[in-house]
Amino acid sequence: MTVFLIFLAVAVGTYAIRLSGIVLLSNPEKLPPRLRRALALVAPTAMGAIIVNSLFLDEGQWRSFGAWHLAAAVAIGVALWRRSAGWAMSAGAVAFALLLVAGL
Amino acid sequence: MSGAANGGPVMRIGRQQWADAWAGLKAIAPLMAGSAAFGLAFGALITGAGVNGWTGLFASASVVAGASQISIVESIRADAPAVIAVLTALIINARFALYSAALGPVFAAFPLRWKLGLAHLMTDQAAVVALQNVDRYPDPVRRRWFVLGGALPFVLVWLVGTVIGIITGPIIPPSWNIGFIVPLMFIAVMVPVLRKPEELVGLGVTGAVVLLSQGLPFGLNVLTGIVAGLIAGSVFAEAADARRARRGEHQDTVVEAAEHEAGEAL
Repeated sequence: MTVFLIFLAVAVGTYAIRLSGIVLLSNPEKLPPRLRRALALVAPTAMGAIIVNSLFLDEGQWRSFGAWHLAAAVAIGVALWRRSAGWAMSAGAVAFALLLVAGL
Repeated sequence: MSGAANGGPVMRIGRQQWADAWAGLKAIAPLMAGSAAFGLAFGALITGAGVNGWTGLFASASVVAGASQISIVESIRADAPAVIAVLTALIINARFALYSAALGPVFAAFPLRWKLGLAHLMTDQAAVVALQNVDRYPDPVRRRWFVLGGALPFVLVWLVGTVIGIITGPIIPPSWNIGFIVPLMFIAVMVPVLRKPEELVGLGVTGAVVLLSQGLPFGLNVLTGIVAGLIAGSVFAEAADARRARRGEHQDTVVEAAEHEAGEAL
């Protein structure tokens, strides 16, 4: 029940966020510059936090070095090289599968 | 003879509206595989965390924001209090405020019920497709059907992916390490579009703080890292904007900032 209520609360809050500018703001340039800067950084910081947390930690403990880190390095390298999400995803997945098969 | 055969409305929706919705669908179609994969990952993760499949489906239908939903799963796994799980997810979803601000003028001429409905469907992908095609649809009626035609199928694909993940999650062997899809997916969508120095500063500080505060209870290191990265990145961005202003260089408008950020979240 608690989990359901957590998702419900986030759903309501997220809908309010999604609606805020559409209903209240006819001119987006009225958004305060400081708020605009912070909002523009939410995606990279939030995703960065999730990447680092899941890559280096496992339920609060340090994750042993292995396939996760190496495959992530491959994905980052390909992402920087090709500037393509599809290529990065594919390369990371293939590398991860091969590393698991290799016993890492 | 039916109305459809005469070129009249189909299901009480005009031919032009169907055509505009189809154009919206075609515009967002290349991004749909990612939506399905992300939904699948969420569905598989939620069953792995011991959460009821129906609750997972409810989450995908009501929150419609994968990163925050995954953060909630992580919070549940860390036994975090509900308030921390909700707060972390809402901070992650605060980026929608930027899209919403940019979409305000795009939706301005839409009836209220359309604004209320489309707001729920505004994923990162749908927002950027809407923003990039505004000029093609000056007529608000045609524009709203274009936006709906992209946004609604995208969410439906996300839901189908979630259902498949919920069904297949329990039968995927643990040795496959399905959890790796979380960092992999975020690396794939974020790294290719990282360019601005303030993003790198924010990201670097976030990563460092997440690891340094690893001992915090309830997975609070994630929330702490995000807040620290936002503060550091914002301070850096303010200084960078001041420099650009002194040099008379271009500064992003809200619409440009939203398009760039949505690109990161695609």
